[in-house]
Amino acid sequence: MRRRRLRLAGRVFTATLLALLAMGVAPHSSRAASNITLTMWWWGDQEAHGAKGWLAQTVKLYEKAHPNITINTVLQTTDGLYPAFETAAKAKRGPDIQYLWGGINTLAEAWPGYVAPMSDLIPASELKHYLNIQEDTYNGKVWSAPWYTQPSFPLLYNKDLFKKAGLDPNNPPQTWDQFMKACAALKKIGVTPIAGGLQDGWFGGWLFALLGGQNLNSAKEIMDAAIGKADITSPKYSEWWRKLAEMRDKGYWNADIDSQQLYQAQAQWLRGKIGMTYTAGSDIRKFVMALGVNRTGVMRTPVYGTGKLAHTFGSTSQTLAVTSFSQHKAEAAQFIMFMHTQERMVAFYQQTGSIPADDRFPQSMITLPQQKELWGWMVHQGGPYLENFIPIELDSGGNFAGSQKLFAGDSASSVIALQAKVLDKWRRSNPGELMAFQNWAKS
Amino acid sequence: MQDVVASSRPAGRRRTLVIGPGTVVRQAILLLATAAAVLPLYVLVTAAFKTQNGYLASPLGLPIPATAAAFGEAFGNGFLRWLINSVAISFTSVLITLVLASLAAYAFSRLPFPGRGVTFTLLISLMVVPPIVMLIPLFELMSDLSLTNTYQAVIIIYAGLMLPFSIYLLTSFFNTVPRELLEAAAIDGAPHLRTLVTIIIPLATPALVTLGIVNLLWAWNELLIALVLLQDDSMKTLMVGITVFQSHYNLDIPVTMAGLLIATLPIVAIYLAGQRFFVQGLAAGAIKE
Amino acid sequence: MKVAATPDRRAAGRARPRRSHLGDWLRPLPYVLPSIAVIAFIFAYPLVRLARESTQQSYAGMTQDVGFSNYQFVLTDSDFVTAVTHNLLLLCICVPVLIALSVIFAILMHETVRGRRVYQVILFLPYVLAIPVVSVLFDYLLQLNGGLNTILRAVGLGVLAKDWLGSEAWALPSLMFVIIWKELGFGIMLFFARMLTLPAELWEAARVDGAGWWRLHWHVTLPQLRSIVEFYAVVEGITMLSWVFSYVYVISNGTGGPGTSTLVTELYVYKNAFGYGTNNLSIASAASAILFVGTVVIMFINFRVRRIELHASHA
Repeated sequence: MRRRRLRLAGRVFTATLLALLAMGVAPHSSRAASNITLTMWWWGDQEAHGAKGWLAQTVKLYEKAHPNITINTVLQTTDGLYPAFETAAKAKRGPDIQYLWGGINTLAEAWPGYVAPMSDLIPASELKHYLNIQEDTYNGKVWSAPWYTQPSFPLLYNKDLFKKAGLDPNNPPQTWDQFMKACAALKKIGVTPIAGGLQDGWFGGWLFALLGGQNLNSAKEIMDAAIGKADITSPKYSEWWRKLAEMRDKGYWNADIDSQQLYQAQAQWLRGKIGMTYTAGSDIRKFVMALGVNRTGVMRTPVYGTGKLAHTFGSTSQTLAVTSFSQHKAEAAQFIMFMHTQERMVAFYQQTGSIPADDRFPQSMITLPQQKELWGWMVHQGGPYLENFIPIELDSGGNFAGSQKLFAGDSASSVIALQAKVLDKWRRSNPGELMAFQNWAKS
Repeated sequence: MQDVVASSRPAGRRRTLVIGPGTVVRQAILLLATAAAVLPLYVLVTAAFKTQNGYLASPLGLPIPATAAAFGEAFGNGFLRWLINSVAISFTSVLITLVLASLAAYAFSRLPFPGRGVTFTLLISLMVVPPIVMLIPLFELMSDLSLTNTYQAVIIIYAGLMLPFSIYLLTSFFNTVPRELLEAAAIDGAPHLRTLVTIIIPLATPALVTLGIVNLLWAWNELLIALVLLQDDSMKTLMVGITVFQSHYNLDIPVTMAGLLIATLPIVAIYLAGQRFFVQGLAAGAIKE
Repeated sequence: MKVAATPDRRAAGRARPRRSHLGDWLRPLPYVLPSIAVIAFIFAYPLVRLARESTQQSYAGMTQDVGFSNYQFVLTDSDFVTAVTHNLLLLCICVPVLIALSVIFAILMHETVRGRRVYQVILFLPYVLAIPVVSVLFDYLLQLNGGLNTILRAVGLGVLAKDWLGSEAWALPSLMFVIIWKELGFGIMLFFARMLTLPAELWEAARVDGAGWWRLHWHVTLPQLRSIVEFYAVVEGITMLSWVFSYVYVISNGTGGPGTSTLVTELYVYKNAFGYGTNNLSIASAASAILFVGTVVIMFINFRVRRIELHASHA
């Protein structure tokens, strides 16, 4: 009897030991004694194809020059970028460098204290060269460092299809009427005039930025609507939904817009059966090269509105921020500055075709005609990228969901009413953020 | 009537019932169900062997010519590390769950104590709590204990989540062990632990196997908790890894499919190998009346 | 192993009265304590924290006590109501369909000899697959111009080719379809395995009586499967209420379907806690607390009402 008990005990012991061993087998995060490890969570290869390779190269060069520093980079998913960061920030442990989109996307992380002010870490003489820092500024401080520009957003069109439809491939539509006529002509020859993908929601925000501000004169006006000083359901703010519904009713958009993801729909355009599609400005080289330099045209969103913003081209930069809980803020900022050295910026452009957010970047390097056009719009007719100036909840609950509903068949009026509802909910459930937003709107 | 039946039936052979829908109809329905079950897998396998253009041109056709290029692209993504993580985490948590649940089920089944009824009902009611609900506090707790990005945190959370169901299952099974067996052992003067191990566990092997498999599948396929708690790429489980992977490559369908196929093969292989054993386990009365 | 005991000993055993004493308290402790410890760690601690956080609003490190206003917000939030409704729809539609289909398929499989092994292997395969894999595959198959519609159009059933994922009317049914597709295998195997243990005579008697297929199985097979069906119903019911997050998250890309047409309670909590740009931990905590307490109470009552036997029946 005793022997059996011992055998049983032995088995239990072995099992426990195995279990403990299994736990012990788990790799521990690198514990370097005197070395410094920087962790960078980022995004962007998705819209600036080739960034991953460039970053790996940059890390290697930097580590060679600074042997006591190790840099780990983690490329996040689009859906996971912000959730992962906010989860980490709440627990006060996570990356040293965090990629953030501009405007509200940076400030919404700065207000709760998740990021450290970049203007305290990078000298003003350097920071002033970075493009679009004004949208990341609050309370006199700049909160993140622009990395690459995001011309938002060029409307690509297939010149061959335009020709086939009887449209002038070198004179794309500029007014809304011309736009509607062009769509009708494309539809007549059996081509889907314009395609988009709303299944993952993001394109809804793009549509808002491209169409929603055409009756506004400044970004401040949309911020006023957000905080309740202006009515988001009034025609000035809501006409774009009706314009979108009009296009939907005439069948100008792809029928599967709600069941395709953003990038999937863009990929469809490359197959040559769709007239127009929007793309991230940072990614334009990929699209142009895929279809052909001579076959691809770029145009600005045609104008229906009467505000000053209708004639501007959205200009924003994607940024990198240093987290407030980082133990190595200065080193992190140094690495960011390294990315802005001449050699690195040129390499970035060569590898991704995307233009670094730095006025010291030699513009003569931009040879692709479509990109030259884009750059010209940004420099000469640049304006705020509107999606960066609304509460993120209005974006996801109002623009994403609203666009999906609109294209699923809901009426423009119901979608417009939804915007007001979403804003009201945001104000009621986020008093802290509302206050910060109000302060920002005042400045 | 019994005699008539007995005499016309060859001894020991089960006959197929042929009343009702004829064999053709039956086979047709089953074939349809099988086709529905297999169609997504067919897409998975064929797409992995196509090129992107080949897929877009013919999403449902056979891959002719077949190419393994997608696999090459998919492989350099850390699948092996993720696989190891998944194996370690799921097997350990299931082992712990089975041991703890067996002990608890024995007590709930055979050891009357005050408050046993309420405690039991409360414990198994926890089966129905959505894991997301505890995710935030658990994440904060694990952060405070510096246990994020560790095996231990995920293992113990999985064990906690699997215990209510496991206790439910094992208790109802232990209840069916004939009283006489246990009384005899009690009269022999056997201590409870020995009774449990030498009498009940062997009888309960089918239930334990079934429970082990169901729990293993759950832990293996679990996404949310692993997603939030295991941020480091080297710690991710296979599920988290392929979700991230799929999101990066979502435009290159063959590569996505190749990656998913790689991730799916281990579990499918184990299933095909152990499938007969599993059905036997279920048949041996895992869930008794 | 000795089985038989002398009659008088057995009688003596039955006659002994139950008296609770210290031994009764202490004896079960080493058996239940480990489980209770783990469960308390995983469930009780979060519940306490949820209770605390749900009555607060915090931002930028400052916390403010707001009483029950978070609960009020959640309960009057149309999105929450929508989410709960969707879970209930999943419960009331998917579970009966799962039971019906798996019973039918199990019976068909049991009655078929030719190819039975093949069916057995293949029909359970979906259950083994990972949900992210399943969801990605159906994401491609169910697009407006995806695999399923291509097939339908090819066989002339183009009128049935709906926008499964993109229309508000069809998104939830499509989600239900994917869930059923995957969970069906489990039920089929459970019932099939059970039927294997039943003697053939069971059906022969009724067959000789001349019963038709439906009558036969309704009166003979189903009663035999009753306990397993109940078990399956409980497991799948719980799944529909609390364990569908992965399905919805991947199929709707975390958005909750066109608009909110595939929003479920788990996704509601997730979007409020982790979603793009929200710092709404307090709202998420309130919703979590409501779900935690609500589901446990329902389950508790369910078990009590059905008087789940927890100790061996006294024969």
